[in-house]
Amino acid sequence: MKKQLKNIMITVFFLALATAVAFALFYMVSNDNSANIAIVYVLALILISRYTTGFWYGLGSAIVCVACVNFLFTYPYFKLNFTLTGYPVTFLAMLAITLVTSATTSAMTKQAEQLKQREKELAEAEKERMRANLLRAVSHDIRTPLTSIIVASDSYTEHPDQYSRDEVETLFSQISEDAQWLLHMVENLLSVTRIDAGGGDSATKKSGVVKSMEPVEEIVEEAVSRVKKRIVGAGIAVKLPEEFVMIPVDPLLIEQVLINLLENAIVHGKGEKPIELTVVYEENMVAFHVRDYGIGIEESRIQGIMNGTYAAGEYSTEQRKGMGVGLSICKTIVDAHGGTFEALGHREGSEFIVAIPRREQEA
Amino acid sequence: MENKLKILVIEDEKNILNFIGKNLELSGYRVLKALTGEEGLLVALSQNPDVILLDLGLPDMDGYEIIRKVREVKNTPILVVSARTTEQEKVKILDAGADDYITKPFGTSELQARIRTCLRHLNQSNGEASLPMAQYRSKDLVIDYERRRITVRGEEVHLTPVEYKMVCYLAKNAGKVVTYSSMLVEIWGPFVDDDNKILRVNMANIRRKIEQDPAQPQYIFTELGVGYRMLEEGL
Repeated sequence: MKKQLKNIMITVFFLALATAVAFALFYMVSNDNSANIAIVYVLALILISRYTTGFWYGLGSAIVCVACVNFLFTYPYFKLNFTLTGYPVTFLAMLAITLVTSATTSAMTKQAEQLKQREKELAEAEKERMRANLLRAVSHDIRTPLTSIIVASDSYTEHPDQYSRDEVETLFSQISEDAQWLLHMVENLLSVTRIDAGGGDSATKKSGVVKSMEPVEEIVEEAVSRVKKRIVGAGIAVKLPEEFVMIPVDPLLIEQVLINLLENAIVHGKGEKPIELTVVYEENMVAFHVRDYGIGIEESRIQGIMNGTYAAGEYSTEQRKGMGVGLSICKTIVDAHGGTFEALGHREGSEFIVAIPRREQEA
Repeated sequence: MENKLKILVIEDEKNILNFIGKNLELSGYRVLKALTGEEGLLVALSQNPDVILLDLGLPDMDGYEIIRKVREVKNTPILVVSARTTEQEKVKILDAGADDYITKPFGTSELQARIRTCLRHLNQSNGEASLPMAQYRSKDLVIDYERRRITVRGEEVHLTPVEYKMVCYLAKNAGKVVTYSSMLVEIWGPFVDDDNKILRVNMANIRRKIEQDPAQPQYIFTELGVGYRMLEEGL
């Protein structure tokens, strides 16, 4: 119904415009050359066919155009005269133009729609693939520590008297360590569900997160203190500008990003030199730099993280420095905030840079 | 034997109930256990526990309902144990009248510390409450309520009246989380705008005055999305 009204309005508008222009030409330029006037109407016809849907508006307009030219601009004026020579030719030509243009435009719109549909399907498939990858990586990474917990507790309950006090202690500290790792994983996964929960309606679709203005220093503070609580004796040198700045974010998500980066850096840094968290207030962004002095990061890993192909089996690599899932989640969170995420290698280790916009971006 | 402190644990997960009970008994508390909300409420109202440890996810009753019913008649400290972790829910728990919350999973030392905090506040609100506390002292921070003076490492700190009020309010609830909304109402009155930017800015200023490194504070900690927590007295 609405569409019909729109089509009618477009048709009337172009016809009126063409008639106005034709009058202007007729009185100001010359009144014996009806070819100019016919061309103005042809242009109007093309435009109408292009911007309306279906043949009928173009067809109707063609009849009106022929009538207008005949009635208004050819001698005798203000009279319909169907006996003029060449009259059927004008009419047929106008009709043909209308039909061809309508057919072309409707084919074009159809194609564009198909293209859009295909793109949507592709994006959907891509998302599905990423989700499946993440799930595979996660279930592997969860299964490994779980196995270790089950084996440790089973072997003790089966032969409780075979273990010395020291061995029991090792067993339990191992269990606790694995449980901590699982907790870390679960928290990361929970943060991803926060992103989904925020999205949905078209107004907030671009971000997919619920944002509020939060002081940068508080986010940094809580992230650092949580990491220090979990990894006792972690050395973190924090550099924060004196200025008070608030950014529009989901504070818990950005905290999760910082926690992941810091923990990752600590595991890589091996405690030889404290890792550095430096916050820089740029004009449009707030940048968080996490720098470690450790074994560095391979180019291929960076690529993998950046395009979201999660490397499964992180956990099993030596010393469980498996943080691939964590970094991928960082990337997801930063993307949802419209920020940028970079990983660099430098001479003494690696550096991760997260930049978050200081102001809400217009969609 | 009789002067052991009583802790009521309301928790529907039997394993966790047993483990928490065992742990608290080893630490010298008397533990009352309840597996359902109804049972818990009954024990809470009849046996006079000193602290209530309440799991929110009970099958038979809404946790908020229990908090509300207990609060109608008693001010027994309620420490909520919850696996739900969104900030809105934490705020809701605290605003409903719970004293503190602890998120699953938690370590035993954390649980013990929270229980001690609850007990300390209980002692303050009973007996000693008739004499208002003269000062707050923790690490190098001293607040002298009578002279309205705050010193850090022996040096006096100059706070604006609003900043001073905020620090005092936090200090009186030291060890507990104070939500943004309760602070706003306390300092600026009930008709304050709920935009908490004014609060955050003032807090940033306070930190610059009393903390050596505002990014790694020693006295006032942030609970993102919920509020602030001041360091427990005497630590």
